[in-house]
Amino acid sequence: MTASDRKLHLNVNILNAGVFGGSWRFPGTDPLASYGIEHYTSIAAKAEQAKLDAVFLADGPVLDPSIRHRTGNNLEPTTVLARIAAQTERIGLIATLSSSYNDPVEVARRLGDLDLISGGRFGWNVVTTAGSVAARNFGRTGEPDHGLRYRRAASFVEQVVATWTARQPVSAQGRPVIVQAGGSTDGKRLAARVGEVIFSAEQDLDKARAFRTELRDGAQAYGRHPDEIVVLPGLSTVLGSTDAEARERRELLDEVLPDAYARGRLSGQLGISLDGLPDHEPIPLELLPDPDVAGGSQTFYRVVRDIIVREQPTLRQLLKKLSGGGGHRIVVGTPEQVADDIERWFRGGAADGFNVMPDVLPSGFDDFADQVVPVLQRRGLFRTEYEGTTLRDHLGLGLPGLAGVTERAPLEAAV
Amino acid sequence: MTFPVVITIAVAGDPVDDQLTLADAAVVADTAQQAGVSALRLLDQPVGTPPPGPSGGAGRIVDPTVAVAYLAGRQGRIGYLVDVATTHQAPYNTARRVLSIDRATDGQAGIVLRAGAGDEVSDAVTAAPGPGDPAARWSDYAEVLTRLWESFPRSALIGDQDAAVVADHTAIRAIDHVGEFYRVAGPLDGPSSRQGRPVLAVTDVAIVGWDRAAALADVILVESEEAPTAAEALANAIERVGRHRREITLIGRLPVDARREANAEQLAERLAQFVAAHGLDGLELLPVGGVEAVLSVLASVVTVLAEPPGITLRDSLGVPEPIGQLVSTGTRA
Repeated sequence: MTASDRKLHLNVNILNAGVFGGSWRFPGTDPLASYGIEHYTSIAAKAEQAKLDAVFLADGPVLDPSIRHRTGNNLEPTTVLARIAAQTERIGLIATLSSSYNDPVEVARRLGDLDLISGGRFGWNVVTTAGSVAARNFGRTGEPDHGLRYRRAASFVEQVVATWTARQPVSAQGRPVIVQAGGSTDGKRLAARVGEVIFSAEQDLDKARAFRTELRDGAQAYGRHPDEIVVLPGLSTVLGSTDAEARERRELLDEVLPDAYARGRLSGQLGISLDGLPDHEPIPLELLPDPDVAGGSQTFYRVVRDIIVREQPTLRQLLKKLSGGGGHRIVVGTPEQVADDIERWFRGGAADGFNVMPDVLPSGFDDFADQVVPVLQRRGLFRTEYEGTTLRDHLGLGLPGLAGVTERAPLEAAV
Repeated sequence: MTFPVVITIAVAGDPVDDQLTLADAAVVADTAQQAGVSALRLLDQPVGTPPPGPSGGAGRIVDPTVAVAYLAGRQGRIGYLVDVATTHQAPYNTARRVLSIDRATDGQAGIVLRAGAGDEVSDAVTAAPGPGDPAARWSDYAEVLTRLWESFPRSALIGDQDAAVVADHTAIRAIDHVGEFYRVAGPLDGPSSRQGRPVLAVTDVAIVGWDRAAALADVILVESEEAPTAAEALANAIERVGRHRREITLIGRLPVDARREANAEQLAERLAQFVAAHGLDGLELLPVGGVEAVLSVLASVVTVLAEPPGITLRDSLGVPEPIGQLVSTGTRA
């Protein structure tokens, strides 16, 4: 493939009501739409019309304690995607499932079957599931140590993939695509070894390029071809038909953000209490632990920590910048401006495409599909028709061999 | 005389002989809906043949939760009962999947919880390692399911944009279940469904025992050989566990082979007789002989016998909405 006909990959992350903490309160939005199945099936149908690679569902086996102030993920993804599979033909289907809190025998079978009945459209986003709240739903008192979670994830994925390769019949794409999102040191090693799509959280183009290069080099070190990895940073979009309109929408998103939610989320991400910290001063750097020893999600901790170190925002400015969205990059602008940004990252070697996280659902995605996608298509950056039927077809991924998957240690329990 | 009818099938990924494909099952679902069937039950094992090895091969059955979620996306106006075993599945995950299907179908789903062994995640931290007693495990598991399904009441979801309140968190309660096999804090991540909670059915009475089944299940499915003594056994068990007979629907299962039945009228009569003679509340038919045979049974026999379904699966099967009575059944440590 020459550089000029390299095409972008785009997923839509149907993060319940939208990535912004106040999305469910946005004017004109049905606040509880994300608690109904139609929300997901209709966005998937729209994504298929727009020729996107896949819909993506984040998930954790837990009720997020922020339920009072924001909508949460609330439908189990494999059941949602099986329903979407029944009502669509081409769109890829990516579900998040925990390697810490599932049995590999059951997951291999269920995900393999979902891949089979969807005609080879399934991808599994492997997560290790941070937090003690989820742990308590599985007989544990606290989250397993970060290193153990990732060691288990690696052998868990290997066991599942090995089961798939022994399966008959195989799906139209051979086996599901492995998606992985960790930005930690442990996470990057796992990604380089078994990840095929990497969903990252990057704020800065140079850092994103370095991250992508590191992953590609890492894959090569494991005997893989670098093009067997598709890197898709998360991208939150706020669109307006003029620059002023887009900014207005961004302002409105701040106004509807429940303050208690924003503070609770930031406090959780940093692992420190915000009580008593003044709104109009930066968070003292000495309060922030080293990323490699931080508990919880290291990816989002790093992102937020980097912002604090780099920009020294006041607490109030930081809350506003994150807007309850948690750390994925936010672009605000007209469809042309957002397309420019996407093109710059893509051509700059920082991304193979994006996991698009619209500000508000469904309106933010409708605007993206109707207004940004056509611009990208006119520029020759994005497909105008599906060329194949499977998720591997859409992503340009073949069915690689399984170096390193056959020799594996016994699975460690995530206790 | 009419009564609720359940039709039971299995879907194979790579069918052999008379096995149904998912496309066949979608046709069956449409025809069953027209015939007035209350629920389509999806087995986790082939109909009539021994299960193949774990790595699959011809005849391997598609995960019933995947198959039901798919079928409900095609035919949403019929109930679904999905077979799930305790084996390899932590109860929190099973509770979520089944409730998700129940909500997606607006209260048309239930589980047939099969007795089995444990799962790798729960076993690692259980107080009772090893397979243990499958009957005690079944009760522990079933209790976790029912309590999780009530942990986030539908009424707690408010969505008040002005007051910035999504849900009344004080109405959403942890279950803090501590059992012999499972310790589960809860609550579940999503609200209860239109029918209160998914229907909980049991079919392994021979393993689970009548008292455990009667204490927790909404529906008890018995084999034809068990049917003659089932009503009395259930009545006795209900007295011991302190529930009411009207809270439980007793259904008898019969295999039918349309290819061997010359006269549909006589078959219908015989089936009605089976239900009446044994004091059953409903009939589960296990059609054998491939998709044509299934469709033929639906068209010729079920249309005559089936009681028109209600709006939810509970309505259709005549099980009342739970009112939180299943708080504890004595299996808690």
